[in-house]
Amino acid sequence: MTRSMDKISDFVFRNATYLIFAGVLIYYGIQAPSFLTPESLVNIVKQASFTGIAAVGMTFVLLTAGIDLSVGSVMFLAPLMAGYVMRDLGMPVPVAVVAAVLTGVVLGSINAILIVRLRVIPFITTLATLFLFRGFGTWLTSSQQFDFPDEIRAFGLSGVFGIPTPIIVFTAVALVAHLVLAHTEFGRQVYAFGNSPEGARKAGLKVGWIQARVYIICSACAALSGFMLIAQIGRLDAAFGEGAEFDVIAAAVLGGASLFGGIGSAFGAVIGATLIQTVKLGLVFTGVNLYLQPIIQGVIIFIAVLVDGMREKQVLAKMKRTIRPL
Amino acid sequence: MRSLTSTVTASLIALGGIVAGTSANAATICFAFQDLETEFWVAGHKAITTTLADQGHTVLERNANEDANKQLEQIKDCIAQGVDGIIVIPQDGESAVTIVKEAQSADVPIAVFNRPPTDTSKGIVVVADNKTIAEQAVDYIVEEALAKAPADKTLNAIIIVGDLGDPNAVGRKDGFYAAIDKHKDRFNVVEVASKWDAATALANLEAAVTANPEVDLLFTSSDFLFPTIRSVFEPRGLWKKPGEDGHVMMAGLDGDKTACQLIKDGYVDATGVQDLYFEADASLKAILAAIDGGEAQPNEVVQDPGFALTQANLGTDEMKMWGCVLLAGK
Repeated sequence: MTRSMDKISDFVFRNATYLIFAGVLIYYGIQAPSFLTPESLVNIVKQASFTGIAAVGMTFVLLTAGIDLSVGSVMFLAPLMAGYVMRDLGMPVPVAVVAAVLTGVVLGSINAILIVRLRVIPFITTLATLFLFRGFGTWLTSSQQFDFPDEIRAFGLSGVFGIPTPIIVFTAVALVAHLVLAHTEFGRQVYAFGNSPEGARKAGLKVGWIQARVYIICSACAALSGFMLIAQIGRLDAAFGEGAEFDVIAAAVLGGASLFGGIGSAFGAVIGATLIQTVKLGLVFTGVNLYLQPIIQGVIIFIAVLVDGMREKQVLAKMKRTIRPL
Repeated sequence: MRSLTSTVTASLIALGGIVAGTSANAATICFAFQDLETEFWVAGHKAITTTLADQGHTVLERNANEDANKQLEQIKDCIAQGVDGIIVIPQDGESAVTIVKEAQSADVPIAVFNRPPTDTSKGIVVVADNKTIAEQAVDYIVEEALAKAPADKTLNAIIIVGDLGDPNAVGRKDGFYAAIDKHKDRFNVVEVASKWDAATALANLEAAVTANPEVDLLFTSSDFLFPTIRSVFEPRGLWKKPGEDGHVMMAGLDGDKTACQLIKDGYVDATGVQDLYFEADASLKAILAAIDGGEAQPNEVVQDPGFALTQANLGTDEMKMWGCVLLAGK
């Protein structure tokens, strides 16, 4: 009896995020049955894809016990540069996508240089670049709205076999990130660095280069995320992306990434971003009072993170009591 | 085109003239704004700074980039520099109260432009009558929608609400309901939060339309969200002109260039117009009069009555809307 209870509790804690996700879906589905229609579910994943792409990049940084607070500003500045490339140089959308991602790489490199070469801690570095990147973009636009050429909206609203482009891009980013983290030497090095930077250094890993690459990847993902979102609207305003870093970090953490490094996965970020969006859009579906929506959002996300934290403790406690791998 | 250019020039000269009549001495004015993210703020910023500079006043501009704490520090800095008066576009109603208090404690006259403090008894407060303006715009689309619908049909209405920390957003929401409640039994209302953020509005509106695919009427609390609405409506066949199948009656509020173009094109049916030039003029007149009169803590509320530009009065009232003036000037 006790053994079977243990098994159940193990199962619950191991799959806490998924169970909460399922619970949220069922609850909203009962409240508003149209919430579970294919169109609605596709919309949830589509809206989650913007935060999700950036959250996948953020997972790389969190795995190294770092943090990147500048992602919201990168989401603003990178599509802006792509917009100039389209509007002033007359370049097509694919070139603009490349321009946005390259801008992300450059911005990520600035973070990387400050963190790895100048040894400024990531929190301070990216807090500074949060203001630096947004300030630069605000200066370029003089705080005014930037209208993109019409082609960008055609791209943003396009799809393949009925699947919206943002979902395809999100899936591709998550798959590539999963392959890199789970099946490449670099991926293993990222986990090793996150678990013990000193141990990784003593093992002969080029820790500076590992750390630099995760910030570049994170900014590149944020840039792509910003571009995909702007491609939906076709207009960038001065406040675009502001505060997005909190959603992105919350999605990655909700997906199981530890702020202390070494734990997390690309698919976890996908689940985290989708769960957050499910909670938000479910409130719209069920017609919850606008004043109550932020409170309910906060409570559900807090519960999810709390249960996730308890799960982590439970798993660690189990590992101490057994010599067998869990 | 020449007459339109003349209209714009005349407006600015008239604005300058009125202000010149109240102020003989050159003053140093601190103009602190929260950001310039919409056409309304850009045009307001231009009207205020250009007129002050033309009158020989020195303008210290401070952009808070939507940070209320930063704006308070900027105001303190302006006071420390010994400015004669302050014009502020605050981030929200609560921070505006603190800013006005700070200025009045230092005996510096202050005017709040367009976004009112939650307590309007202190400082010069120039504000649009958001509730009435919104009600006028929504009245128009409600009547049009009801006229076209069968008498027994319940219509679906969506309101995109702004940041509920902003009194303007609350006023506009109240105005929407004042119009809808006149025909309470005929409407189902869905509220969509935007927090004045295009990305938030996009996600929430998409969900709202997925949940309620039949939309008869939409009111956005700000015209700047029309491109976002288009992104959601167009793929669903709801972005149509009057007479085309699927046309949704739409109204906004602000009166910007985008709204003007969309009304002319027929996609949008009405928008509530804040009289930007009146508000800029009133702010300047009041602050300069206080400086000249040596009044350190002037308290006054100046209300912009505004109006609604609709498909019905477009021909006669187009050039009363600042967005149409700017559009023509382009």
